[in-house]
Amino acid sequence: MTPPINAVVAALHRAAPGSRVMMSPAQMAGYESDGLGYKSFRPDLVVIPSDADELAQVVRVLHDARVPICLRGAGTSLSGGPVAAQGGAIVHTSKLRAIREISLDGFWCEVESGVNLRQLDEALQPSGLCYPPDPSSGPVCTIGGNVASNAGGAHCFRYGVTSNYVLGLEVVLLDGSTHRFGGPAGGNGPWLEDWKRLMIGSEGTLGAFTRFWLRLTPRPEKVWTFRATYPDLQSTERAIHGLVRHPAFPVAIELMDPRAVALVETSSMAVGLPKGHFLIVTEIDGPAALVDLRVESVAEVLRSAGSADVLFSDKAEDRENLFKARKAMGGLLGQVSPDFLVQDAVIPKRALANLLQLIYDEADRAGVPAVTVMHAGDGNLHPNFLFDSRIPEEVKKVEGISKRLMQRVVEVGGALSGEHGIGNDKSAYMPMVFGPESMHLQLAIPQIFNPRHQFNPMKVFTERRFVA
Amino acid sequence: MSHPLLEKDLLSTCVHCGFCLEVCPTYRLTGDENNSPRGRLRLWREEAAGRLARDPETDFYTSECVGCLACEPVCPAGVAYGDILEQTRHEHVSAGRFHPKPELRLAAQAVRYPALFNAALAPARALRSLGFFPHPLIFPGRPHVTESTAAYARRLMMLHKPTGPRVALLTGCLMEAMFREINFATVRVLIDNNIQVVIPDEQGCCGAFHEHTGLDGVDELREQNRRAFLPLAVDAAVSNSAGCGLALKKTLAPDMPVRDVLEFLGEIGIKAREPRGGRVYVDLPCHLVHGQRSPGIPAAVLDATGYQWELAPCAKDCCGSGGIYNIQKPKNAREILAKKSAFLNEAEGDPIILATSNHVCMMQWNSAKSLVKRPFRVAHVIQLLDPNCRPSK
Ligand SMILES: Cc1cc2nc3c(=O)[nH]c(=O)nc-3n(C[C@H](O)[C@H](O)[C@H](O)COP(=O)(O)OP(=O)(O)OC[C@H]3O[C@@H](n4cnc5c(N)ncnc54)[C@H](O)[C@@H]3O)c2cc1C
Ligand code: SF4
Ligand code: SF4
Repeated sequence: MTPPINAVVAALHRAAPGSRVMMSPAQMAGYESDGLGYKSFRPDLVVIPSDADELAQVVRVLHDARVPICLRGAGTSLSGGPVAAQGGAIVHTSKLRAIREISLDGFWCEVESGVNLRQLDEALQPSGLCYPPDPSSGPVCTIGGNVASNAGGAHCFRYGVTSNYVLGLEVVLLDGSTHRFGGPAGGNGPWLEDWKRLMIGSEGTLGAFTRFWLRLTPRPEKVWTFRATYPDLQSTERAIHGLVRHPAFPVAIELMDPRAVALVETSSMAVGLPKGHFLIVTEIDGPAALVDLRVESVAEVLRSAGSADVLFSDKAEDRENLFKARKAMGGLLGQVSPDFLVQDAVIPKRALANLLQLIYDEADRAGVPAVTVMHAGDGNLHPNFLFDSRIPEEVKKVEGISKRLMQRVVEVGGALSGEHGIGNDKSAYMPMVFGPESMHLQLAIPQIFNPRHQFNPMKVFTERRFVA
Repeated sequence: MSHPLLEKDLLSTCVHCGFCLEVCPTYRLTGDENNSPRGRLRLWREEAAGRLARDPETDFYTSECVGCLACEPVCPAGVAYGDILEQTRHEHVSAGRFHPKPELRLAAQAVRYPALFNAALAPARALRSLGFFPHPLIFPGRPHVTESTAAYARRLMMLHKPTGPRVALLTGCLMEAMFREINFATVRVLIDNNIQVVIPDEQGCCGAFHEHTGLDGVDELREQNRRAFLPLAVDAAVSNSAGCGLALKKTLAPDMPVRDVLEFLGEIGIKAREPRGGRVYVDLPCHLVHGQRSPGIPAAVLDATGYQWELAPCAKDCCGSGGIYNIQKPKNAREILAKKSAFLNEAEGDPIILATSNHVCMMQWNSAKSLVKRPFRVAHVIQLLDPNCRPSK
């Protein structure tokens, strides 16, 4: 039997006296959603541990009291991850914000899980080092959330995603015990090596991360940004194909469909892109002498694919302008629509035409505006469906389209999520991708760390329901 | 849909992306999402939609907001947070859910009668001009006790007969009644730069005070200022306080341009003062950079002070003043200030001057003198440009 909530609160106060415990209805309301704002689940408790030691005590008390435990970083997840889908406690890492060490000769840093990407970048700047993963939520999202959802970003095409940079992590398991997987040296050894890999992308279902050792790289000396538009999908695909095979190895290849371009062009952020065109933005970086040499050949790839308006620059201000339309997208969605649902499928590049057609057909039939952007290098497709969650029919329509889209993604051999995670938004689609045997194997892992699904229940797999 | 904010669709514009969390001083202080813009908006929306009962915690989190507006420019969805806050504050005060401190209530009444307010504070001006500063928020200065800025401006205009652009100066309530020396310096700098200065006699308090506290009176004050400013044939209305400037902008838009006086000077070009020793650290008022969306105090204007200057670290972050926040929530305000002012302990230069362009920020910075372990002076940038006086010691 679960003890009464007041007894849990008292036990938390005793075990973690420096931490904040909240339970009034208004305080729960502020924690009921993540970046997928329209789906809300009110928790019963919110705890803000004062430090990693108290976080371990909090987990132990909640475990003993049989309360579901959901870790939360900045709550920017777009998949319904850091929410109390089955009630219980939200454990918020907002006080774990120390950058504990930056090792200049080792090229690594040690950070607590609540450190956010901008904070880390500012701390690294004087050293000339950088931490490459760059989700566009970087000004706020935490490393803890990034590791738990294996976040990516525009520049991860060449640099790789979060998992490529985690050397080690410290995690609090369900009984409150603290364990380290890897460390500054990466945890070399025949057996220990990739235990940490199991934790990365686990979406808060295996344990609570408290700190990380992250690999750093030198900041690129020089960056060139290119922008080109294309009148049709065929020429766009030719350009993408040319870029991914180019020896300059672009760091990012970003795509916007004509509907996304139209959204920008009818807003105050308009940059003068031609109507009905696709947009590609790409970048190369590296030592100045080397990248300067490659500029013309990259521009030629873009031109020969069929673009009549290739622009490029190495000046910070111009580069920002070239990227402006792509960067403005996220905000514009918020300005034109009360809610939007973004999907995160990864598709084989040859299936792009097939999927875009499905998105257009479905969206037009349902009268739901849809604009699509894509990390084209990785095949990570983000169609955004605009709707108003106060109108139940609109929610139903958008969820119906998402489901049919995911079915098609699976048919063409794609994956459900490239970077946002499964959360509770896409958990129902898991059986579409994985057969019963694969599901069984995947569910065996939480069985070891979290047998009753007390950590983040109802996420990733719908059958992960906590039974006290 | 019964709640006015729901009807205007203001609350539904937030897409819950969280981009506003890290710029919010109260979120950074507490790590509590309810104490962030996204959290407050959620609480207000849930209550307005009937999904959350009236809760003392909602009242508390509403009262915690500094009103610095740092959350507005970073919001990709363009949520009009300032307007929503103003309406919600007013509603909370009217319904007895939030109680502005008695001294703030009294002041809100008093500033509606400028002549009376000026007369009532004459003794305080006199004390300041004698070098007596009885409160940590009262920074040193030598205001004129009897002559008003309007009379002074008329006198100087007759004397120098400038021929350049014509501006109407907002003299403000507290600025005129307590810190009048800044108004005098503003008039001198403008006229010294060949700008014609008009001071509308009928002007009143800008209303920012009432916006911050949620007390009644904003609409009447705005109306009074529209009557005072709009008939004038001027190129712009100017203000020497970022907070008052923002309130006046809202009042006079779109009929008369309102400019921050330093921005205005930056555009027309300004006489430079002789190079001087000492180092100036410039802090940017929230209501200038977030509220008015200004890029900051123009570098050309700061260069013209003759001082070696640089921006204070995190210059765009709030100092904790928040108009009246340091009186309503002194503990939070002090914690915010303690973090922000710590750099002065190690800052290079001697003497050092902390300069900004809003008198309430100056008050807050003055109170940092008990936090910082070395002496420093607080000044308005306009005082550093003043041909007559140097910033008071
Ligand atoms: C406007 C916008 C743009 C975005 N762009 C991108 C993008 O380009 N690329 C991308 O990958 N994502 C993007 N995202 C999604 C989101 O920012 C990422 O998923 C990010 O990694 C989440 O970090 P967070 O700190 O907000 O974590 P949260 O949202 O709080 O949590 C995410 C998941 O991590 C778990 N978690 C958090 N902290 C811990 C911990 N300490 N221990 C264990 N589990 C934990 C949570 O339980 C949850 O399952 C975007 C989101 C928004 C709103
Ligand atoms: S106005 Fe300032 S204190 Fe208030 S919510 Fe916005 S950022 Fe936070
Ligand atoms: S940045 Fe704007 S849209 Fe995003 S959570 Fe904050 S208020 Fe809402």
